[in-house]
Amino acid sequence: MKIFIQQVVNGITTGSVYSLIALGYTMVYGIIELINFAHGEIYMIGAYAGLIVLTALGFAHLHGISMLIIGLLAGMLLSAAYGFTIEKFAYKPLRRSSRLALLITALGVSISLQNFVMIGQGASDKSYPSVNMLNTVYSLYGVSITANQIIILAVAVAIMIGLDLFINRSMTGWAMKAASQDMVTAQLVGINIDTVISITFIVGSALAGAAGVLVGFYYGIVNFYIGYLAGMKAFTAAVLGGIGDVRGAMIGGIMIGLFESLGAAYISSDYKDAFAFIILILLLLIKPSGLLGKDT
Amino acid sequence: MKRLLWIFLIIGIMQSCTHKSNIIRIGVAGPMTGDQSVFGWDERHGVKLAVQEWNKKGGVLGRKIEVIVEDDQHDPRQAVAVANRLVSDGVIGVIGHFNSNCSIPASAVYNRAGTPMISHGSTNPQLTEQGFNNVFRVCGRDDQQGKIAADFVCNKLKLSRIAIIQDKTTYGQGLADEFRKWLGPGCKVVYYGTIVQGDKDFRAVLTNVKAQDPDLIYYGGVYPEGGLLAKQARQLGMKAVFMGGDGIMGPEFINIAMTAANGVYATFGPDINKVKTASAFINGYKDLYGEPGPYSIYAYVAATILLTAIENSKTAEPGQIIAYLHTHSFDTALGPIEFDRKGDVVHSPYVVWQVKDGRWVQL
Repeated sequence: MKIFIQQVVNGITTGSVYSLIALGYTMVYGIIELINFAHGEIYMIGAYAGLIVLTALGFAHLHGISMLIIGLLAGMLLSAAYGFTIEKFAYKPLRRSSRLALLITALGVSISLQNFVMIGQGASDKSYPSVNMLNTVYSLYGVSITANQIIILAVAVAIMIGLDLFINRSMTGWAMKAASQDMVTAQLVGINIDTVISITFIVGSALAGAAGVLVGFYYGIVNFYIGYLAGMKAFTAAVLGGIGDVRGAMIGGIMIGLFESLGAAYISSDYKDAFAFIILILLLLIKPSGLLGKDT
Repeated sequence: MKRLLWIFLIIGIMQSCTHKSNIIRIGVAGPMTGDQSVFGWDERHGVKLAVQEWNKKGGVLGRKIEVIVEDDQHDPRQAVAVANRLVSDGVIGVIGHFNSNCSIPASAVYNRAGTPMISHGSTNPQLTEQGFNNVFRVCGRDDQQGKIAADFVCNKLKLSRIAIIQDKTTYGQGLADEFRKWLGPGCKVVYYGTIVQGDKDFRAVLTNVKAQDPDLIYYGGVYPEGGLLAKQARQLGMKAVFMGGDGIMGPEFINIAMTAANGVYATFGPDINKVKTASAFINGYKDLYGEPGPYSIYAYVAATILLTAIENSKTAEPGQIIAYLHTHSFDTALGPIEFDRKGDVVHSPYVVWQVKDGRWVQL
């Protein structure tokens, strides 16, 4: 039982990171029906942004919590800037062309960003600053949880609640929902579609950036290709929850994290990365629209 | 436009025809990019240092030496492609590859071409058991390394509950299995599991390991995963001793594992700071590239041996060079080295190291 709870704790931690990334996929898909394959790279860039800013500030002098906050802010800001720019330069000109052209552009952006970071930051792993406070281990009835895991959970939950309020309570959130239901009608009632799309990219990318920094602190190392696998799994999470549905992405991410952790523990650790995709295949066979997705 | 193309074509043909008899090329292959690139660059620097010294003395056989560096990304498929490229570039010998899963398939390519290959860091026994006469290595073998590690764990540390984790590569699995084979009767393997290279989260496996309450975790694999394993084991509240092979040697393991690195054991060759013949190498290397990595000197020594064999066999003919390598002893920075019939070094001095206060120390 102890082991099971430990595996669940581990699974929920990684799962909440997948959720944060999955939100970006699902929000963008909800509005322009694009699977933004460059989103995993945005997450990777967030991780690097946090690292670069902390290194520039000379992280040795900073207090643990302030380091975390500065890192998160840097990651979110830079990722948001990238998301905004990518949409403006790569996707907006193609808004009226076929969806396939957009999809291939997204793949192209993904490859370009990966190589851009590889050339700029080098191909080898980079170490994240070590924060003693984050590495504190708490033990509860034999189940170990680090401060880092608690912070990941807390930040992820806080961000997700904030996002849910933003989408369901604010004017901009309503505009986003309206645009995702019917873009033409939304324009007719006076919603500026360009602004709404930009905001969607900015918010989605900021979430991915936050995830990148959290993971950077969690594993202690980043490299230029972490975005690929994390992106694929988060995409799976978004599809699992029903792509286009924000709460679906949150639930989907946690579920993927749990499947992975429990699958690796009780079935085989060799296929850890495969579990997410096995679940995806099964789900597509049984309920193609995802858990919370509406049948169209 | 068409004329321009013709001119380019003719220039191209002329260039490839020009017989560059005043240059001798040697190849260097290893993981130059990716998560293990530190090992690749140590190798590259070691070979470059040796070549630079020889070129300063006037090259080999009166010809300048040129180094061709190829990146195998520690991927076996890439290693074969790289090996073919080196062979078609006409290299007279190859230093590398580093990872056993690359060296073994690449060695077949070099064998077909008759090109001598000296690996500086591939320790899997199979490499020299294929019956290829062109394959050599200056490092030890995992059957020797695994035995030393097992002896140390059972007889010196006297630990009994052993967990083994390996990364499913030729090197990692080979080392882990050799270690298990040599464990004494007092040692019991309570867990044997695998991880996937490139993964960052090993908590699922480690939680299962923790349930078996081992005294020691033995890891067959390389530092990027090894460092995270050691760190995450501590974060899960495990007190077990962590031990690995030569793949976790070097400062990178400590950078990744951070404080969890303290107390970790590994098997490797002796500390070169205590080897008298190595001091010239250490000074030369520090001047150019900074602190040498664990396998820098092995790459340097491999290059020195290859160049010595070319010079002394007085020919650029690979068959003769191979024959010379098999029959002579070489005075190197690591001391005298002699190859046996298979291409292994006759003496392989594995010793146990431990991380103390954030530094690797030979015990």
